[in-house]
Amino acid sequence: MRRVAITSCATSSFTKASKNTLLELACDPCVEILRKDNLSTKDIDAVLFSSCATDQYSSSILCEMMGIHPKISHRVDNLCNSGTNAVVSAYALIASGLCDSALVVGAEKSDSQGNKLQWDLTRGSFMFPVHWAAIFAKAHMRAYGTTEEEMAMVSVKNHKNAVKNPVALFRNEVALEEVINSRKIADPIKLLECTSACEGASALLLQAEENFHSLDNPVFIQGIGQHTNSASFANATSDLTSIEATKIAGKRALDMAQIKISDIGIAELHDAFTILEIMAYEDLGFARKGEGGKFVNQQQLAMNPRGGLIGCGHPVGATGIAQVAEIAAQLAGKAGNRQVKQCLHGLVLNLAAAGSSASVIVMGV
Amino acid sequence: MLPVCISCNFRMWPPSNYCSRCHSKTALENAETSGILIEYTKSFLPGNEGIYGLVDMSGIRLIATFDTSELSKGQRVKMVNCGINSDGTAFYLFEPFLS
Repeated sequence: MRRVAITSCATSSFTKASKNTLLELACDPCVEILRKDNLSTKDIDAVLFSSCATDQYSSSILCEMMGIHPKISHRVDNLCNSGTNAVVSAYALIASGLCDSALVVGAEKSDSQGNKLQWDLTRGSFMFPVHWAAIFAKAHMRAYGTTEEEMAMVSVKNHKNAVKNPVALFRNEVALEEVINSRKIADPIKLLECTSACEGASALLLQAEENFHSLDNPVFIQGIGQHTNSASFANATSDLTSIEATKIAGKRALDMAQIKISDIGIAELHDAFTILEIMAYEDLGFARKGEGGKFVNQQQLAMNPRGGLIGCGHPVGATGIAQVAEIAAQLAGKAGNRQVKQCLHGLVLNLAAAGSSASVIVMGV
Repeated sequence: MLPVCISCNFRMWPPSNYCSRCHSKTALENAETSGILIEYTKSFLPGNEGIYGLVDMSGIRLIATFDTSELSKGQRVKMVNCGINSDGTAFYLFEPFLS
């Protein structure tokens, strides 16, 4: 297989609402990539559009708006996982030789269909994501003594990181007491421990190694792991303190990259709710089982440097792409005022629907 | 009622007309309506308030609604009603077995 690199990325501002249509939003980061890298639309072989919106024929409409006539174009929808799934598909198109380059674009409006899941009969009358997250949090607290303060610290950390991110929805720090005293949504989860639905767009340019148009600090995709356990909450994971799909996807990605979790210096983890970041520490192997809560205050690794979903907001189809864009920018040394120490390897974890599916992408320079 | 495989007797949940194990057809059969409360909590979400918990009925799991907060993890609970809410979502009302 050919090596595949992320050679450019752009993310537009995540906001509560605007008058722009979904596809107008999607054009913003695409135009930014074409302009800053002085690319021709002829340089793009594939356009993959990630969104949970049900707008018909959206990928082809986006291509026409951008003046791109790709070999391959389609929409990818896999709820919150859509963006990382689109990156995986783009990787496969290039690694296989079917395409030499792919523009991966994610966009969502605030009123996305992905925010409430009417199809999952197993959730009964409690259909919102916060409801399953609260069950996970209760179980983790009961089994391992994880505290409300430890969970709240995830929010404090990610809000602090988001202050440095010009495209984040929330650019204000929050104090521990503020998080703990914020309105309870589903016990023990409070308002400031939840991500927020918003609109936004993000895009990446993936290219085959021999076809780089920009040789400036390419970041390679070195490992991919993806796993679908179920779609329903009932069958997502048997142990409520752990997400099985994350464990499997993480191991696959690290095995493919031929590295260990201790080689990862920076990560973007799916933190739609604070407990999920704590579970991700454990399920990926950054922390020992049951010690994720204590791991929140560690200083050695950069976790969610862009602010995560809690600080940035969660435009569903754009999130996975913005996560990958952040790690690519950080590894390339192009993260501006939020650049962390140089790392050789970074990781993205994205989830959908109570962790019923997970994607892990390992990148490196 | 729950779809059960006509060939291998696997109980399909969420419901499906095919068995996910052997891909034979399923047919509706009466199902067990009691189980174990795995975890529970309380929703304060405006318009969606209430006590709820994950119930396991021999491997069939669902989020149940409770009218009482007098619950404990691991206790036996039984379904007393189920149906469709006005917003189209399902409801499964459970209560603890009297000790």
